Amino acid sequence: MSRRASSLGPIDLGLLGSLFFVVPVVLLGSSYLRPYDAPELDPRPALLPLYLLLSLARLGAAYGMALLAALATGYLAARSAAARRIILPSLDVLQSVPILGFFPVAVGFFIGVFHGSALGVECAAVFLIFTSMFWNLAFGVYESLITLPEDLVVAADQIGLRGSLRWSRLILPAVMPGVLYNSLVSWANGWYFLIASEIIAVGPARYTLPGLGSYLAQSVVVGRHQQTLLAILVLLATTVGMHLLLWGPLDTWAERFRFEESGGHPRTPPIARALGRSRIVRWVTRKLVVPSGQQALTVAGTVLHAVTTHSRLVGVALALAVPLAVWGLGRRLYLLFVSRALSPEIRDIPLDLVLSFLRVALGVAVSAALAIPVAYAIACRPRWRGTALAVIQIFASIPATAFFPLIVVLLTWGLAMNGGTVLLALTTMFWYVLFNVLGATTAIPKEMQEAALTLGLGGRRYLWRVVVPAVIPGLITGSVTAWGAGWNALILCEYIEAGGRVFSVRGIGATLDRANYGSGDMQVVAASLLAMVLLIVAVNRLFWDPLYQRAARRYKMDA
Amino acid sequence: MSAGKVLLHMEGVEQLFDGKIRILGPLDLEVREDEFLALVGPSGSGKSTLLRIAAGVLRPTRGAVRVGGQLLRGVNPEAAVVFQSFALFPWMTVVENVAVGLEARKLGLRECLRRSEKYLELVGLSGYERAYPRELSRGMKQLVGLARALALEPELLCMDEPFSALDVLTARTVRDLVLDLWQSPSVPTKSILLVTHSIEEAVALSDRVVVLKANPGRIAEVMDLRHLPRPRKADTPAVRDAVDRMYTLLV
Repeated sequence: MSRRASSLGPIDLGLLGSLFFVVPVVLLGSSYLRPYDAPELDPRPALLPLYLLLSLARLGAAYGMALLAALATGYLAARSAAARRIILPSLDVLQSVPILGFFPVAVGFFIGVFHGSALGVECAAVFLIFTSMFWNLAFGVYESLITLPEDLVVAADQIGLRGSLRWSRLILPAVMPGVLYNSLVSWANGWYFLIASEIIAVGPARYTLPGLGSYLAQSVVVGRHQQTLLAILVLLATTVGMHLLLWGPLDTWAERFRFEESGGHPRTPPIARALGRSRIVRWVTRKLVVPSGQQALTVAGTVLHAVTTHSRLVGVALALAVPLAVWGLGRRLYLLFVSRALSPEIRDIPLDLVLSFLRVALGVAVSAALAIPVAYAIACRPRWRGTALAVIQIFASIPATAFFPLIVVLLTWGLAMNGGTVLLALTTMFWYVLFNVLGATTAIPKEMQEAALTLGLGGRRYLWRVVVPAVIPGLITGSVTAWGAGWNALILCEYIEAGGRVFSVRGIGATLDRANYGSGDMQVVAASLLAMVLLIVAVNRLFWDPLYQRAARRYKMDA
Repeated sequence: MSAGKVLLHMEGVEQLFDGKIRILGPLDLEVREDEFLALVGPSGSGKSTLLRIAAGVLRPTRGAVRVGGQLLRGVNPEAAVVFQSFALFPWMTVVENVAVGLEARKLGLRECLRRSEKYLELVGLSGYERAYPRELSRGMKQLVGLARALALEPELLCMDEPFSALDVLTARTVRDLVLDLWQSPSVPTKSILLVTHSIEEAVALSDRVVVLKANPGRIAEVMDLRHLPRPRKADTPAVRDAVDRMYTLLV
């Protein structure tokens, strides 16, 4: 009890946390509730902490909403077969939509809602980040819940765990490892889109969101390389700091919720395990996370219980709202295309699409070709593994959008734009493949490794007969994710304005960007978005899904 | 009683965890030619660790392992291992699982196939060559594991709890098959190192039983059972006596 008194209580923590997020948001909000006048960012490095705080506030707000929504959605999908039939396919389609393409549309919408105030841009950014964080969290929750051991559920029923108690004692602990694992992914996605949304200039008027990303972008455009470097360093320090102060401690704490080692479950990210040995992480875990963890679960349980008890109401509301929205959208699209003659650019869309497709496909192939040897090299050297993984993970947690400025500098030095585009896309795509492949190599059961050893399978034979087959499911999962992410990257990097020059290649991303930011031709915007989404969904359905099914059947670790 | 030639010799073998915590040894152990040796003990007695050291998959923190007088470095070329979890490669068919170790030993393709089929037939799996491991029952999976190990024609067959993942009846059948194959002239392997937690199993099968104690793993006693004639029945007084003696050692 005396220990409790000396450490910060959960309430203090909650207060501090909300101060951290609420104050900048309120400050921002008050300064935003006036008509927008496109400010130039103040370039003084002393303001960087403020910019960082603003960026973090956006991320935090989006993450909070995404987590709550994901828990509720995943829970509903796992509990009711009817909900599952609607939720899973919609999530599947929605997550394959390239979010960045919709950003200008969202900005337009929210600016309309807030009558031209810049709060609309802020909301659009948070919305964009939310959509980048939500899907994998929801799938993570759903998967943890359907793989919950049946005995445990029966036992919980038997003991009489109901209502908020069921949430805080059964469901939340059960989904905790999956949620944490996916939070890392979500958070990385969030950074990516945060920076993208801060960088993007919208429409004829430029909207700038003050934040780390816009600071980075502006310093590149103006050509202040020292500031660029500084901003990247701040970003790096922040991601490392978050691992030390947040993810590491949370993960150490959540270790207690893990069921015994089972192959299919997402394992602790290696960096978190490596960090588990750090003194800072242990201190934070002991002093902050452990004392407040159970209370946090209880509070969350109450909230979630309240949210999900009205699920039927929400369901009915959705059942009414969704058809209405679809009808409204369809009508607007129809009007858009019949109201005037078709723009000539629309005829170019098929070829644009093919060119972009080739770039993404090349990106996937290169990522896979690079990831397997790297993963193999790491897997073969267990002594280095921890260090190598930590370094890779820190690099990967720098959002690829932060590399864009650097590659733009290369472009201004004369790098061919086609190469530059693929390189830019690769900075986004490679990590997805690498992490999935690495995860699969480390999931090879120990006895299987020993069997290979005693059978004399060494070197290249071990690579081809054991490692490659074992990583195939991971390789496909990673490639699917990279394929989706690649399209987002193309929207960002087929058309780049920097230092007063325009770098662009022909492709659907460039067409979309030109229409979004140049001509403002909504016909072209709608047509290219539709074409892109249809292509992505079709390839997912007709190529990746069957491929994955076959691979999973053949290469699953179940013998 | 004539003691056979020593096949594998361990001297002063110790295993430390994290360089500090002693989990095994120091101890000496030898496996002789033509003998069935069992390691019995509670969990934490290091019996599986000892087997891995014998197979050369694990390097002891201290001590020497000699195979045929030669100091062992790396994987033991004279040993093959049967695992508790079978450790079959799910993406290879039954015959590929058996043949892959022979391929690695640079045997010609025809010889690989001939030998794989011979051993699959010996364990009674003819006709299942093209099946994938996941299509087989647990007992059949372990038979594939057994065929894979025997096909290497090792001097020493190491078996790590090979019957623990099987139901009682299947375990019994596979166990009898192991004994038959060991005594059969068509299988060249003549020494077996078996790790088990079942005293009855050890007594039913072995020439010698090494009884281990836990924390850290060390040898409590080595029991010689060569005087018991095979096949051994659980209800004969001599067998029951051996089992009882082992229980008192362990409890």
